Amino acid sequence: MDLTLGTQYVLAGVVIGLLYALMAVGITFIHSMMKMVNWSMGEYYMMGSYLQFALITYLLGPRLWFLGVPMAFAVLFVVGIYIQKLVLRPMFVGESARRDDFATVVTIAMMVMFRNLAVVLGGPYQYSVPDYFPPTSLGPLPISGNRLMAMAGTVLILSGFYLFIKYTWFGTALRGMAQNRVGIQTAGVDVKRLDSIAFGIGVGLAAAAGALLAPVFLVWPEAGAVPTMKGFEIIVIGGLGSIPGSLVAALLLGLVESLGSVYVSASYRDLFGFILLIGVLLFRPTGLWGERERVA
Amino acid sequence: MNLLAVENLSKRFGGLVAVNGITFSLRAGEIRGLIGPNGSGKSTTMNMIGGLYRPNGGRMLLNGRPLNRLQPYQRAALGLVRTFQIPKSFGDMTVRENLFVPALATARERSPAAFRAIAERVESQLAFFQLDHVAHLPARQLSGGQSMLLQIARGLMVEQLSLFLMDEPFAGINEVIKSTIIESILRMNRERGITFLIVSHEMPSVRRLCERVSVMHEGKLVAEGTVDEIGNNPVVIEAYLGGANGAAAR
Repeated sequence: MDLTLGTQYVLAGVVIGLLYALMAVGITFIHSMMKMVNWSMGEYYMMGSYLQFALITYLLGPRLWFLGVPMAFAVLFVVGIYIQKLVLRPMFVGESARRDDFATVVTIAMMVMFRNLAVVLGGPYQYSVPDYFPPTSLGPLPISGNRLMAMAGTVLILSGFYLFIKYTWFGTALRGMAQNRVGIQTAGVDVKRLDSIAFGIGVGLAAAAGALLAPVFLVWPEAGAVPTMKGFEIIVIGGLGSIPGSLVAALLLGLVESLGSVYVSASYRDLFGFILLIGVLLFRPTGLWGERERVA
Repeated sequence: MNLLAVENLSKRFGGLVAVNGITFSLRAGEIRGLIGPNGSGKSTTMNMIGGLYRPNGGRMLLNGRPLNRLQPYQRAALGLVRTFQIPKSFGDMTVRENLFVPALATARERSPAAFRAIAERVESQLAFFQLDHVAHLPARQLSGGQSMLLQIARGLMVEQLSLFLMDEPFAGINEVIKSTIIESILRMNRERGITFLIVSHEMPSVRRLCERVSVMHEGKLVAEGTVDEIGNNPVVIEAYLGGANGAAAR
């Protein structure tokens, strides 16, 4: 195989993988903290893309598109905090053994509600956002400016997320909660408050992904469906609750899709991810970095 | 003066009455043992005082302040912490980071000077519990005994600690680590005036540490007194120790 061509395919896979990573990290972050699956993540992605569209069209203009990304994160972070407090927290009250399952079912209801709300408010139409950047090249890889900007934004946001988790007091408390929920409570940390913040951060990451990818995947009520599917594929491959696992799995999925599209057929692009998923689960049922058992 | 007052405390799980209207109090600076056969309600009592279970009846007061409605983190802020029979460590964090968590969570000040003071306390606890040589390791790599030491050291990092609940701190622990735990309890009691409530089946350790012991059986408090007194109490011998064991315990 031609080396330049091979490098291009690998780079294309890395780019796609990074674009998927933000969504997957958001999903797995919420799961590692609250031990629940948020099925409405795609709808926060969708809301992030709508918000970006509205900001660029009515407030910021196309040149200041990059300001829309942190704004989408901030707005959905606050929305997420209130949704967690008002809608999900009641599921965690009391001594029910299945409260995380109840909360998960509530997120399915929210998915349906938000998707239909978008249809009611904006119609079933697809809106396009102006290009963020003209087409360019990344080394030997010709790349759309929108994808390059989305990739750079993803790297920036994930780096900030890593620094926050690793080096701040809140990050330490969040890691403690993910590792031992009972232990962190008795160490003096308010887990209900952390639940809200964790949910806000998780959906904020999805919203940032939606804002970054708005010109790539367009803005419409079901815009979040494909990123959600990819996100769930990634977290199962990487191991539910593992952030490093999600990052590696996202890159792996991007590579498999890219190379599969070139060497087999682009028509089966989505199929390659599922083959990877099944392959990983056959040999490691908990995913690449998954925990073998829950810690109370 | 009483630090902890427990009045008519009850807990039911469906039809099972795990704790049935117990009343007792702890003096400030006391080291009290709480013993009883398996299933007598000791751990449920600890879980209610620690805030993990909400009682069905009765009330708990710490320094006269009602505890019933407070979450575990609010109790920790008042100086009430606990350990578990199976240590609840933060496995992926280093041993050192584990100690920082409660200190930072309950710190009244977040200045650089306060952080330096916390860092010094962390190092001093690591040295006292002989965990300094493993301070950089993830907590999940510790042995069972070291995990228990870490759990106790972590509890001692809570600012304004006044009451320390310990659930089976000596279970499955070797003699060297057991001695370190006993020494730490006596030292913290002496130096910081911390009150301890210790659930244990280890009668020799209880005898060494506790001036008084409370005995639970079938959810009720059936006796209270010194180890010798409860060892001679026929109700305790019948309910908990059994005749021959009772003689051995004495």
